[in-house]
Amino acid sequence: MRDDWLNPYRHRPSLIHRLPATAKLAAVGVGVVATVLLPRAAWAADAGMGAVLLLVALVSSVPWRHLGRQLLLAEPVALGIALLALWQADGLRVFAAMLAKSTLCLSWVILLNATTRFTEVLRVLRRARVPALLVTTLALMHRYLFVLANEMGRLLRARRSRTFAAGRRAAWRGSATVAAQLFIRSSERAERVYAAMCARGWKP
Amino acid sequence: MNALEIRHLGYRYPDRSEALRDVSFAVEAGERVGLIGPNGAGKSTLLLHLNGLLPETPAAAPAVSVFGTPVAEPHLAALRARVGLLFQDPDDQLFCPTVWEDVAFGPQQLGVRGAELSDRVARALAQAGLAGFEERLPHHLSRGEKRRVCLAGLLACEARLLALDEPTSDLDPRGRRELKALLAALPVTQVIATHDLELVVEICPRVIVLDRGSVVAQGPTAEVLNDEVLMLAHGLERPHILSHRHPH
Amino acid sequence: MHIPDGFLDAKTAAVSAGLAAAGVAVALRSVRRSADARRVPLIGLAAAFVFAAQMLNFPVAGGTSGHLIGAVLVAVLLGPSAAVLAMTAVLVVQCFMFADGGVTALGANVFNMAVVAPGVGYAIYALVRLMAGDSLRSRLLATAFAAWCSTVAAAIVCAGQLALAGAAAWGVAFPAMAGIHLLIGFGEAVITTLVVAAVARARPELVDSGREQTGPVRHAALTAYGLLVALGLAIFVAPFACRWPDGLEKVAATLGFGQRAAAGPVLPAPLTDYRIPGFKSAVASTTVAGGVGILVVFGLAYLLARALTPAIAAAPRRPKGTSTGA
Repeated sequence: MRDDWLNPYRHRPSLIHRLPATAKLAAVGVGVVATVLLPRAAWAADAGMGAVLLLVALVSSVPWRHLGRQLLLAEPVALGIALLALWQADGLRVFAAMLAKSTLCLSWVILLNATTRFTEVLRVLRRARVPALLVTTLALMHRYLFVLANEMGRLLRARRSRTFAAGRRAAWRGSATVAAQLFIRSSERAERVYAAMCARGWKP
Repeated sequence: MNALEIRHLGYRYPDRSEALRDVSFAVEAGERVGLIGPNGAGKSTLLLHLNGLLPETPAAAPAVSVFGTPVAEPHLAALRARVGLLFQDPDDQLFCPTVWEDVAFGPQQLGVRGAELSDRVARALAQAGLAGFEERLPHHLSRGEKRRVCLAGLLACEARLLALDEPTSDLDPRGRRELKALLAALPVTQVIATHDLELVVEICPRVIVLDRGSVVAQGPTAEVLNDEVLMLAHGLERPHILSHRHPH
Repeated sequence: MHIPDGFLDAKTAAVSAGLAAAGVAVALRSVRRSADARRVPLIGLAAAFVFAAQMLNFPVAGGTSGHLIGAVLVAVLLGPSAAVLAMTAVLVVQCFMFADGGVTALGANVFNMAVVAPGVGYAIYALVRLMAGDSLRSRLLATAFAAWCSTVAAAIVCAGQLALAGAAAWGVAFPAMAGIHLLIGFGEAVITTLVVAAVARARPELVDSGREQTGPVRHAALTAYGLLVALGLAIFVAPFACRWPDGLEKVAATLGFGQRAAAGPVLPAPLTDYRIPGFKSAVASTTVAGGVGILVVFGLAYLLARALTPAIAAAPRRPKGTSTGA
């Protein structure tokens, strides 16, 4: 599993891609906050914000299908919570307004993700004096996420090759064992990474 | 002054079984020495003693000294720069988000900053044949490339003694060739623990045989490796390459 | 339970962010003061583990499957502060890279899932262990019960935040969130316990108490988390929960039901199971169901722990190696 399965379009040469990560993060921060602060059901303002986003998406040359798919993946949660609003006075309007807002905000984040590399975000966080321990945790997590996912894939395949009983109970036991093995291997790897860090002079 | 001197080194595993027993040998500056032996002989354990990662609690009288300095406090911090340990699994060693950051990690710990840092990293990457890899992500690299990044990270620290744990394991033939050429070209003292007997024949003039924690033989490579009885007795075998040589 | 953007108003988002920041700060401080440098890569790897493990499928029924959340798993195996940091990292990445959880709601999500969940989970774990002893069986019992409680607690705080922000009335949010998570928590309890049991079987020393720090650092951190959770409950839940005898009449009026007797369900089918005949509202039903749930889950947790521990003794801790030299 490579990093690219998350987002294959991060390396496009568009104008948006080439903007410094700090600017993009700041823009998204402002964009999201602005969208959230817009009055509820202010349809004109929502449409304006939507136009801005469409423009950015256009310039970024990220395929529409990819953006659309990301949006569809992210919507259900917003939909679910927005549904709760239906049981209020004026429920339908509130529901629609919430959905519009959350869709706009989701689009901001999806565009950010499609045009910015996580390693750059890490650098921005470091420069912004976010506590080192937290940034290191994020960095290590990102670094080893794919390593662990691959290991998990191997463990799952091995387990599937040895599972002859069908049914939920076998599946639960199987997944639990895989999770346990993964945790143990991650623990052991953490020890080795610690040794490697110390070997190159790391002092916490 | 020898690059590495080990005198009567012993080590017990946590379950009290012996890992190393009375190990003694020396390595001259600039030498490339192969460390061979069957699985479980203690090769990796031995390498971990070279920069003080083992023993967990420092011994009162350290058995290992590197360039005249005993491997014990308060010298450990300085030694970690001078002794570069290449781990068996490059994924354990390549823990930074990008190649550049990982190669820069060591020098940064040493306090190197700014232009000098960039220079060191660039030079190390060039030496390892990885110019242009700066922004690459570790999980996009092949195993051979990852190994070379780890090596570059050690070179950036200006290590004078390299301890390499199975550097060619898991490499495809091309990766192996590239790594072998790199190691052969490095003017740094090297101790190479490996199963790759052909590698030893090709680039190590001297070899040390370890079995069950003890040194059972050491000497010129051709001499030791030609001794079939010795090789078989210690879980090894005489490599074919001694009979004929192909330029690769 | 990831709240998207646009559902929380400024005050709720800001207060939640403040509480979250405080919780993360406590965790950072606790890890730093433990002076065990090994924890740094361990927490990073734990975060990667949680992320990966959340992708594992635990088939429930039809095409649906449950997934591990992981807060209590990490808390039990590595301690509460490690869990806070690992879950925070996971949530941050989910927010920015997967649009899972809103940017403005990040504070709330971190507070719910990275402070409340591990905090409540670990506190209950420690409490049950205190009462039930240190055997593996009691540990598993504690794990199962703690996992359920932590899921429900996080859901309740989440409901409170939505209600305070005006996104959904308490009378709707609470039964929906807490109600559903009474069930989800059950899955989390079973999954977490199965995993801990499997780890104990393979590497018992990873589950034994030697791995946890004790002493003033841990206690201070726990107290801090407890305070933060209490604050969260006070700010987000108490205004609704305490008023509920009267508040519910108001809610019923807002919903347009007035004096209608609760003959039919207030909310569609799935929640009718939580209604007890004679109660006027889903909130009361959910609360009672929750109370009953606590007892039921504790009992089930005990049964699960028993099923998983025929006779496993904890292995002795690995002592360190020793070197000799001239």
